[in-house]
Amino acid sequence: MEWATVKPAAFDYAAPTSLAEALTLLGDPDRDATVLAGGQSLLPMLNMRLARPELVVDIGRIPNLAGIEEREGALVFGAMTTKAAVESSALVLRQQPLLHAATKLVGHPQIRSRGTVGGSMAQADPAAEYPAVAVATGGWMRAVGADGERTIPAADFFVTCLTTGLAPGELLVEVGIPALSAGTGWSFTELSRRHGDFAMAGVAVTVRLDRAGCFEESRIVVFGVGDIPTRMSAAEELLRGERPEPSLYRRAADAVRDAFDAPMSDIHASAEYRLHLAGVLAERGIADAVARAHPGEEGPNR
Amino acid sequence: MSLDCLPVTERRWIGRDVVRVEDRSLLTGRTRFIDDVVLPGMLHCAILRSPFPHARIIQIDTSRAEALPGVAAVVTGADALAWCQPARSTPEGWGLRCLASDTAHFVGEPIAAVAAASRAAAEDALEAIDVEYEPLEPVTDPFRAMSGDSPLVMEGKGTNVMFHRVFTWGEVDAAFAGAEHVFTEKFRWNRVGANPTETFGTVCEWDPGTLELCVYGSIQAASSAALGCAGTFGIPSSKVTVKSQHHGGSFGGKGGARGIVVASMLSRKAGGRPVKWIEDRSEYLVAGGGQAWDRHYEASIAVSGGRVTALSVTLVDDLGASGEGFGALGAAKPLAAFTGPYEIPTARYDLSLVATNKTPVFPYRGMGPPPHFFVLEQMMDIAARALEIDPAEFRRANFIPADRFPYTIPSGNEYDSGNYGEVLDAALSLAGYAELRREQEEARKQGRLMGVGVVSTVEPGVFDWNAYAIVGMPQTGVPEGATVSIDILGSITVRVGFSMEGQGQYTLVSQLVADYFHVDMDAVSVVQLDTRSAPPSFGPGGSRLGVAISAAVLGACQRLTGTLRRVAAALLRAPEDQIELWDGNFVLKDRSGGALSVAKVAATMLARSDLLPPGVDPLPEATYVWTAPGRTPADDEGRAKSYLTAAQAVHVVVVEIDPDTGVVEILKYAVADDCGVRLNPATVEGQLDGSIAQGIGAALYEEYVYDEEGQPLVATLADYLIPTINEIPVTQKTAVVTPSPFTPLGAKGCGEGAIHTTPAAVMCAINDAMAPRGVLLTEVPASPQRVWKTIREANR
Repeated sequence: MEWATVKPAAFDYAAPTSLAEALTLLGDPDRDATVLAGGQSLLPMLNMRLARPELVVDIGRIPNLAGIEEREGALVFGAMTTKAAVESSALVLRQQPLLHAATKLVGHPQIRSRGTVGGSMAQADPAAEYPAVAVATGGWMRAVGADGERTIPAADFFVTCLTTGLAPGELLVEVGIPALSAGTGWSFTELSRRHGDFAMAGVAVTVRLDRAGCFEESRIVVFGVGDIPTRMSAAEELLRGERPEPSLYRRAADAVRDAFDAPMSDIHASAEYRLHLAGVLAERGIADAVARAHPGEEGPNR
Repeated sequence: MSLDCLPVTERRWIGRDVVRVEDRSLLTGRTRFIDDVVLPGMLHCAILRSPFPHARIIQIDTSRAEALPGVAAVVTGADALAWCQPARSTPEGWGLRCLASDTAHFVGEPIAAVAAASRAAAEDALEAIDVEYEPLEPVTDPFRAMSGDSPLVMEGKGTNVMFHRVFTWGEVDAAFAGAEHVFTEKFRWNRVGANPTETFGTVCEWDPGTLELCVYGSIQAASSAALGCAGTFGIPSSKVTVKSQHHGGSFGGKGGARGIVVASMLSRKAGGRPVKWIEDRSEYLVAGGGQAWDRHYEASIAVSGGRVTALSVTLVDDLGASGEGFGALGAAKPLAAFTGPYEIPTARYDLSLVATNKTPVFPYRGMGPPPHFFVLEQMMDIAARALEIDPAEFRRANFIPADRFPYTIPSGNEYDSGNYGEVLDAALSLAGYAELRREQEEARKQGRLMGVGVVSTVEPGVFDWNAYAIVGMPQTGVPEGATVSIDILGSITVRVGFSMEGQGQYTLVSQLVADYFHVDMDAVSVVQLDTRSAPPSFGPGGSRLGVAISAAVLGACQRLTGTLRRVAAALLRAPEDQIELWDGNFVLKDRSGGALSVAKVAATMLARSDLLPPGVDPLPEATYVWTAPGRTPADDEGRAKSYLTAAQAVHVVVVEIDPDTGVVEILKYAVADDCGVRLNPATVEGQLDGSIAQGIGAALYEEYVYDEEGQPLVATLADYLIPTINEIPVTQKTAVVTPSPFTPLGAKGCGEGAIHTTPAAVMCAINDAMAPRGVLLTEVPASPQRVWKTIREANR
């Protein structure tokens, strides 16, 4: 009788066992198909009938879509790699501590045990952690479609709220996150109402300091405020060549607040409060990243 | 009274932490909840709901839905008009029918319902029902609703004011006029409510042969539900059976009358096939029994010589679109503890209950005092701060002295016992209060916003209907019964009228009976009866069941002992008055002669008619129905001896606020609590933990938000923020035990005290933290955004 209590609108379900089969299913222009990865967003949407696909393509039985490997200075994650696997990966902890820190803020253990790296990227929630990590680290997505495969830089992948640059019929198969190079300072700071909630605002920061201890290069990415994770070019520019000090961070925070025309607003945080938080978190995040940086260090990861 | 009334040398079970009898089946997944109930031929219900807060329903066309495969029945407001009365309500006459017929009154109000072969098919059919609405102007602000030019929620009523009265207890005007200091402040308590793990669900079967209705459900108060169904359908209550399933919590939120009535109508229309309706979380959050206490307060206190001489509270309580949820009871309950633990001689309560186009409010754990005490305790701190008195000492100076109990408060209720100063001392000592104040001084020098809240409240326990007389409850007394029965092998069965809901009452029954008859807890079984078989029973609610069921079971054990003793006297050939039960045996009081075990006497009754004394039936069984003694009907100012017990607690909370983000962190949480004799200390601690968690939810996280047009902005648990284990501090706890003189075992109600206290305590701590900035937050929940805005006001 269990079937009798489910609520979604009817849909067809397919669980292909090869990538080619999946691409055929997804590439059918006459069918509105959607991909089931970890199901942490899709299943509630189906139950609420907010998502009404004709076909659900479960990619969980395609071989070799999960796993973490090191390739050319980057950590490469199969799209079906769970966040629990990322969280417990010694490789990730060593090579990309920013990603490790961000992972612990994604939902709760139950969600991380199901939710996938590829799913988070493809869902493109503006307040999610993983897209912000991808943009902050200069990551990339590898997508496969009927016309072959392509690599999309994270900076181009996220188009707007819940929308990516994936073409119809394309499947995200791999996510690359460059390892953090030695000496790079980092921070991942977010403020959510409860532990595990989507952030009201968050900031991912990486900084490199030169031998003199001044900012050489920095990346500041704010998420949960605009419709996609956004690099704060003005703030980054403001830091360049300067000596780290609190008054500088405050000016950078002001630049962050100036970067958004129309911040998101919801019942938990108004646009005004979100913008304020983005500045506070940027100020704190830069300071934390600077504290972790080793001036003048170069070369491969520690 | 005390546990000493039990006839044993040494108690092995009651008063001790024991493994709960409920847990084995819960933890192994064997407990059957409502969604596990599957009956032959069962259909599944889905409900079409109004998308408008206020609209005229011009037309409903269900023909397309009825034609879909698998659809067995569709009901609309027309069926409700034909078959149902409006829901009973408080205040009376403000109930709606289960399906709207001509007007929709709130978003989520049921408009039509479908029974189909599966839930998905029923959901499909909803999409094929065509409804033509004419949107009407809604009213969402209760102050606007009270004004002359407001749209009317119920047109026929001619007003949105369901109830308005001013209660005056003592010479309150004179007290304010003559006071050295008067403090006045406004407060806003936003909508919060119950969110049990399991939402409401029911399976209803309308038997066309017997014309009887059978209802399975996750129902908190089964007997009330049965009476409600009979009244709604206009059928004899003897034709209604309610079988309440064990359920995953309630906290007052399992109201659900509409769900039962809708599913029953569908069953009737589908020729008697059973119909299951399982409310999903979004339905629960938008239009279920989970919303309570949407309140606007203005309060004043008069203080002379460091003593509070008068309390005045004006409450505008937004009940939403009808009185069907009995949310009005929550505005009446504060009468049972209006002045809290304080000796305040005069008081006034200006109470308005107002209808708006929002979801009707329902009961929630605490039933009204949590917002009331939030207000009273903020006022105590406001006065203490202004008068530069330590808030703990200000409270101590105003406490009802220990030698004044039983003590009648101005609003009429009588507190049974207490030792408030001792509880305060215990809490302050546990928290290290003096040291905390020194730490706070240091923190303030560094510009940090650290605050300490010290709050004391009284928990009225063991509710009585007379507590709600002012909003239309005519009864006095709430009977609760139990039957204790011993079989031929000496095994003991206790039959009760309520299901398991999480409070461990089956364990309590087992503990008590096991000690009374000196057997192992395993030898006692607790069986739930349906509403047509059970003795009078209300079930859990109003912090009553622990006291009520232990009193009923004790009474039944004593009554059964009386019968057994007659048989034992005959067997032992001794006068009855020379025989007593002790350690499981009937013995002579002077301990001469033999002993007969309870089991042996019971077996003799059932198996040896030759030995049965004349006039004794072969029935080793007794039923006892308990109701609180000494309750009085309410007088014309609402005053009554209502709740039987008065537990008391002091919470000490330490917080630090991040001034840049408005985030409040709880650094320390200490509780001293006096709920009389603890029948199962682990259960009491569980009640405290859960109640504190819900209190923290109300103080910091939870809020049902509506926009100005009456659209609910909360539809999932990503919107309605129930605190998780990550947000709840580890609490330090200590107990003071002042037995109740009014309950058979000396226990007091203890299920709601912490939620009475926690929101007030957290808010007092927050305001203490912000005091150096000269600002006050008077609205809950204290979300980061609200706190940040409040601090920003100070910076301007």
